[in-house]
Amino acid sequence: VLTKDAASFELIFRPNIELISVVRKFVESFYREILDHDDITFRLALATHELLENAVKYSSNGETIIRIAIHRSDAKEKRVVIETSNKAHEANQQALLALFEEMNAEHDAFAYYQKLMQRSVKRRDGSGLGIARIRAEAEMSVRLNLEHDGRVHILAEADVAEEVRA
Amino acid sequence: MSTMTIPPLTAGTLKAIADLEGSALKVHMSGNADLQSAAQLEAWLHELHTLASRLAIGETVVDLRTLEFMNSSCFKGFVSWIGEVQDADQSGQYRIRFLSDSRMLWQRRSLHALRCFAADLITVETN
Repeated sequence: VLTKDAASFELIFRPNIELISVVRKFVESFYREILDHDDITFRLALATHELLENAVKYSSNGETIIRIAIHRSDAKEKRVVIETSNKAHEANQQALLALFEEMNAEHDAFAYYQKLMQRSVKRRDGSGLGIARIRAEAEMSVRLNLEHDGRVHILAEADVAEEVRA
Repeated sequence: MSTMTIPPLTAGTLKAIADLEGSALKVHMSGNADLQSAAQLEAWLHELHTLASRLAIGETVVDLRTLEFMNSSCFKGFVSWIGEVQDADQSGQYRIRFLSDSRMLWQRRSLHALRCFAADLITVETN
């Protein structure tokens, strides 16, 4: 679907590290075409990149679905939803649950991001910053849905005001 | 290669070079800093810190103006580097000055976050 008021697509693929930047550049063009605003385009591309990296790192079978949907939510705003879905091992599901529980208890996205940055200084197993960065830098809300079969859905959402267009 | 600097880094599409200019270390980065380069970048920044401490550098200038993108894993490499500078005793600390390009939109938000993380050490200049 591709109109100025509603646009969406879905990719099912086995992302690898090299492909993530390629997909980010592709969706950047998509966002720019539909939303016509450089800063919003950057924020959404950043969120897409971080979600895809998360999927690459934690997918148990390598396959990831990414869905991107933009639709008019009212006369002045559009709603953007970026969703990644993949299967994950139990340990990674639990780690994600713990991360979201802690993050959701902290309403100041930037303060929480700074807290995680401090914690990451001596961390050796990944950055632990990707999801918090989507909230703090891309200014999107992020939520987690876990299915009983181990499928993980992470959704990043934002309302984009028409009047801030370039 | 002089012992007054460290070998350049090439990892994925990321390139990083460090040179000693006067009493400052000048670092230039270009390309994409993503998962392909995260581990090597963090190790390289650690090496940079060791060199800066050994030479009692007063300032490190990091030119990011042609760095297209930085993911959270590479951003974490910078956080760890800044943490090392913070942990050094007073004589081993040095200021870090980032050069950024206003057209690279990731830089404004990410460098703001780094500046808030270590406001006493970091300045950001944007053209």
